[in-house]
Amino acid sequence: MTLDRGNVIAVARREYLARGRTRTFRLTTIVLVIAGLGIVLAPLILRAVFGEGKQTRIEVSIEASSQGVAVIPTLSAVLNAPLIPTTGTGSSGGTTSPPTYDVVGVTDEAAARARVVAGDTGGLLVVSRPTGGADLSFEFITKQTATDRVPQLVRQAAAAISIQDRLNRAGVPPAQQGTLFAPPTYSIAAADPNAPPALDPSQQAGGFAAGFVLAIVLFMAIVLYGQWIAYSVVEEKSSRVMEVILGAASPFELLFGKVIGVGALALTQYFVVFVPAVLALVFQPQIAALVLGGSADPVSLPAGLSVPLLLAFGLFFVFGFALYAVLYAGAAALVSRTEDINQIVAPMTLVSTAGYLVAVYSSTGLIDASSRFVVIMSYVPFFSPYLMLSRLGAGRAGPLEAIVAIVILAVTVPVALWVAARFYAAGVLMYGQRPSLRLMVRVLRGG
Amino acid sequence: MSLVLDHLTKRFGTVLALDGISFEVAPGEVFGFLGGNGAGKTTTMRIVLDILKADSGTVTWAGTPTSDVPHHTWGYLPEERGLYPRMEVLEQLVFFADLQHVPRRDAAARARHWLERFQIPEYEKRRAEELSKGNQQKIQFIAAVIHEPPVLLMDEPFVGLDPVNVALLKEAFLEMRDRGTTIVFSTHQMEMVEELCESVVLIDKGHVVLGGPIREVRRSTGRQVIRLAVEGDTEMPWLASVPGVRVIRPGQDYVELDVDRETDPETVLRAALDRGARVTQFLIADPSIEEIFIEKVGRRPTEEQHLVGAASGRSGPGAGTGTGASAGTGATS
Repeated sequence: MTLDRGNVIAVARREYLARGRTRTFRLTTIVLVIAGLGIVLAPLILRAVFGEGKQTRIEVSIEASSQGVAVIPTLSAVLNAPLIPTTGTGSSGGTTSPPTYDVVGVTDEAAARARVVAGDTGGLLVVSRPTGGADLSFEFITKQTATDRVPQLVRQAAAAISIQDRLNRAGVPPAQQGTLFAPPTYSIAAADPNAPPALDPSQQAGGFAAGFVLAIVLFMAIVLYGQWIAYSVVEEKSSRVMEVILGAASPFELLFGKVIGVGALALTQYFVVFVPAVLALVFQPQIAALVLGGSADPVSLPAGLSVPLLLAFGLFFVFGFALYAVLYAGAAALVSRTEDINQIVAPMTLVSTAGYLVAVYSSTGLIDASSRFVVIMSYVPFFSPYLMLSRLGAGRAGPLEAIVAIVILAVTVPVALWVAARFYAAGVLMYGQRPSLRLMVRVLRGG
Repeated sequence: MSLVLDHLTKRFGTVLALDGISFEVAPGEVFGFLGGNGAGKTTTMRIVLDILKADSGTVTWAGTPTSDVPHHTWGYLPEERGLYPRMEVLEQLVFFADLQHVPRRDAAARARHWLERFQIPEYEKRRAEELSKGNQQKIQFIAAVIHEPPVLLMDEPFVGLDPVNVALLKEAFLEMRDRGTTIVFSTHQMEMVEELCESVVLIDKGHVVLGGPIREVRRSTGRQVIRLAVEGDTEMPWLASVPGVRVIRPGQDYVELDVDRETDPETVLRAALDRGARVTQFLIADPSIEEIFIEKVGRRPTEEQHLVGAASGRSGPGAGTGTGASAGTGATS
């Protein structure tokens, strides 16, 4: 079979332009760009709109009877403690952003109450010592409910303050109190000493998220653009333009051109959507500084995204897309009406969805990502784009495993192309026949 | 440099679509490819274009098998018209030309030239789906000829066009013939065949029924046709009594008669004069292609048998029971 490159380019070019110019394409692109930016900048937008992240003022009124305890520093420390404790040697020098809660002592309790009611402050903590009572008494005046985060934290701080107070009264000097509360030496040992070291939780979460997001992106690309190709094939059949083209180009050239054209358009759309989103992600601190004021963090790749992972994603994207795209085209050639497309491409969509779901479940921990089932599936061409990517993102697969999966996938593509080309050649002039399994087998045998 | 089809056979499942089609088209000729619906014309054209593969037999152009002939040798106007519905006309034509290796810039110029010629230059930027059927057909025609192919294969190029557009198309047709283009076209408009074609072939149920230069074909039937008009008598019932004569087309202006070769046409004239009629028209001619078509294709008692026989494969004896005609000659062994 001689391949006329001019024809392939002509077909790809037409496909790219004809589809790229449609209003649907432009609209989806705009929507996707907005959605991409929205997702990336969501925290920033939330902060800007709802004032989250602005300093919340918590006022403390300490009655004279209960002086002598470090109420304000303790409360401030508890409220502003990071959600995920930074462990290990990481001294985390990047905490330049101002603390979320500003704890201030006040004397005018009535005025402070009024400020809580007005919503100017997040709450007022009144510390008193009941007459005759030995222990401190705490009252937190706030609009929040007992189960909200701030009341919970205040309660925690109150417990700590109370213990300090009791120790003070028991005669333990504050300096010794420090050693009293120092954390003991504690470490976790891996059950299997040969197993790869467990990943840092925050890093792991980032990797999971990266693999997860990339799997979604891939899934969307395959199903969405696969449908495009299927539509484009059936449109040519139903408008009978196919026969005119077949006089000039071989079915193989048509198929090839189509996949390349739609693939190029898919990549274009992805670039248009991803470049602003990634830029926004990378420069988020600067944007935050611009919008909210404050200093900016240095630029770095978001957690979990690494250059090798992105490279693997690129390869899985190209080959995975090619594999599914040619099969979508081959299948679509067997039907002649757009109504029948969904039915005929269902097997591919199903397989694709299965791979995607397993990837998502194993990323979120519903399925053990190191189970044999997942590992084996991550080498199977139809699933590897999803699964190997998510395993790679989670740090559960090494570069060698990824390369093997990519090679297997890349080898499968020409096979799929051959199958699809046969379907295509037989199907393009076939009208009105119901595609049956028997028909497909006959086509493959060269009938 | 001629187009030769040699014993083409093609079977679709159990249906034998072509059963040994052979004919030759001389270079630079306008060639009528005739046959009833389902006779195998489209299949034959697709095989010539190498869109379909024949089960056996060969097609050669200037001695080269068509699978080795570059595709821009052919200009093809398929029976089912097809344009991209949502693509602009000019863009569409440039795409088709691009597939035929016409440089893109030339393609646009040629497309504009043709649009002008077909009096629709204003449709350049219109989408195909906005055009009327006739105009779509003109676009389709341009798509088939834009790369100036040496051979044109056209399935029903004139169908659905108004007389003005038929004239435009015919003019383009003849101009291409004068440039040396070999044109093979099928049509059901027989007057078009007689007007344009030098040779014809008539196929039916996958067989060549007859073929050759048009004059020979018309003469070959062993019959002649008389056109007779008599003043004050449009019915002429007395013609039934003249031996060897059959009325094939009664009409207001004249009556057409089929006369055996053995019968002297003058007997008809004499019979009319004997009755004291005033003869206003008397014309002796060979049968028209239309009459030959009807004769050869219209009544074929073995038609259905052929299909049934082929469809049921080797089931043999049961095949011929459908009609009262003698043993199924159509079934192939």
